Amino acid sequence: MTAYLLRRLALAIPTLFGIAVVVFLLVHLAPGSPVFGSSDAIRRPTGRAAEEMRRLYGLDRPLPERFATWISRAARFDLGDSFVDHRPVGERIREALPNTLLLNGLALLFALAFAIPLGVAAGGRPEGTFDRLSGAALFAMYSMPTFWAALLLQTLFSVRWHVLPLYGVASDAPGGGLSGIVDRVAHLALPVTCLTYGTLAFVARLVRAGVAEAAASDFVLAARARGASRRRALWAHALPNALLPVLTLLGLLLPALLSGSVIVERIFAWPGVGRLYLDSILARDYPMILGLSLLTAVATLLATLLADLASAAADPRVRDGAIS
Amino acid sequence: MTRSGIGRLPGSARVALAVVVALWLVAAASPAFASRAREIHLGQRLAAPSATHPFGTDDLGRDLLARVVAATPISLAIGLTAAAVSLIVGFAVGATAGYAGGATDLVLSRLIEVMLCFPVLFLLLALAALLPPSPLTIILAIGLTTWAGDARYARAEVIKIKDLDYARAARAAGASTPRILVRHLLPNALPPLIVSAAFGVAWAILAEASLSFLGVGLPAPAVSWGGILSAAPTYIEEAWWLALFPGLALFLTVAAYNLLAEGLRAATTEGGRKA
Repeated sequence: MTAYLLRRLALAIPTLFGIAVVVFLLVHLAPGSPVFGSSDAIRRPTGRAAEEMRRLYGLDRPLPERFATWISRAARFDLGDSFVDHRPVGERIREALPNTLLLNGLALLFALAFAIPLGVAAGGRPEGTFDRLSGAALFAMYSMPTFWAALLLQTLFSVRWHVLPLYGVASDAPGGGLSGIVDRVAHLALPVTCLTYGTLAFVARLVRAGVAEAAASDFVLAARARGASRRRALWAHALPNALLPVLTLLGLLLPALLSGSVIVERIFAWPGVGRLYLDSILARDYPMILGLSLLTAVATLLATLLADLASAAADPRVRDGAIS
Repeated sequence: MTRSGIGRLPGSARVALAVVVALWLVAAASPAFASRAREIHLGQRLAAPSATHPFGTDDLGRDLLARVVAATPISLAIGLTAAAVSLIVGFAVGATAGYAGGATDLVLSRLIEVMLCFPVLFLLLALAALLPPSPLTIILAIGLTTWAGDARYARAEVIKIKDLDYARAARAAGASTPRILVRHLLPNALPPLIVSAAFGVAWAILAEASLSFLGVGLPAPAVSWGGILSAAPTYIEEAWWLALFPGLALFLTVAAYNLLAEGLRAATTEGGRKA
């Protein structure tokens, strides 16, 4: 296990470096950077913004020196100041992060809580009635654009039936105690639903395939022969095997959720990281764009690393390199 | 006798194929709707669906059905070309990594891993918004942010087949590496890549729609389904049809390509899920 851990960590270092390079290259898409020269006069930052770009990215210096300066600042969490309100990038991300973590954390929780029983039930009897029905429903969810689902849910639940708020984190004057909590939950319902269903469909289909395969294999048959109930054979014997690929992919769910967050937070006026990123893009707020790209990519790298280590801990074949 | 071609596809995928063909026919017929899609009638702003306007009208009184039809070729074409860019870049990187192995593989695999670490929409928004706006920018942005998935498939597939006899024979006959990759390994790695490409088209259409919906898609006057949908949130309280119909077209298209991809996968892999 230690050898696997060291090898995996060693591989993460060049990846981390690669992430930094990709983010750094994004700066060179900025108008006024060497790529564009000075032809794009309208979108070129001026005044204080131009000064900040020079300070942060040293656009007049040679490329390697620029990269070294930027990376050493980023390593000390100095991501610069936002062009929009001149506050530190790190501070603005810290403000938005809890809102996004709440949204995505709940979405991930619900997705797993529904996807696993669904996948076990469907995979337990492949091609059965439940498998066919749930398969069709999951397929529809899988193909449904998030923003379309969000707009339809808003139309039904907010405009037509007036049962849930259209957008926002909380009402202007939320009551205290229980009514305050109800208000928060009502505001969370639609955005969390929109962020959940895609992940739910993806994981449920993965679990279904894994359980269906395991259910037909000798070790599950052997468990049944020893007298284990069908339920026990599926949940205790087939499911753990089906969950291994899910565990590996758990790290990669993070960037998918964050992509979804950009759309969901835009539609529901949710002041999180996704909305902050979109606003920064529209305002061409380069320090914010680079800071957020860097942090989300590094977070994903850490998540995949943890997921890989968890797989290795759960499955000796992974750490021996027999399967990857 | 073994069945081949379309006959091997499961029933659901044949329906999906028919939908895809129908969509391309609509796209071919769409120029007939172009002028109607542009007609502004401020007196008929946000009119509900009726016999004259089956999908209703938008905020400028334009016929929504005509607009949805007129947007079809752009949405389909961008999806197809962006998926092609993704597949070509993905195959080049993935197949090279898988074929060369060793240090080349190690470096290219890290590159693939790096790309997978970014939320796709984050990179996509950055490229689409910061590069000069044009259809080419959108196509390249989508292709260059999604190739990593294709690369992983190509790498795995090439590793599986590179030491089979025909590849060794080509090497022994003195064929160059690019020639072996393109002439010998590509055709044999094609079935899983075609499946990946069909999923890729669905994803690329969705990606373009997301960009246009968020306001960084195609520059005016080109309009895609996502572009039409971008007006929907503003009028959510008075005009549900603005969200429903363009979204339905998008959903149908994405679902058809996904279903086709699953059918192709079932038809090309032994032991695939039976229809």
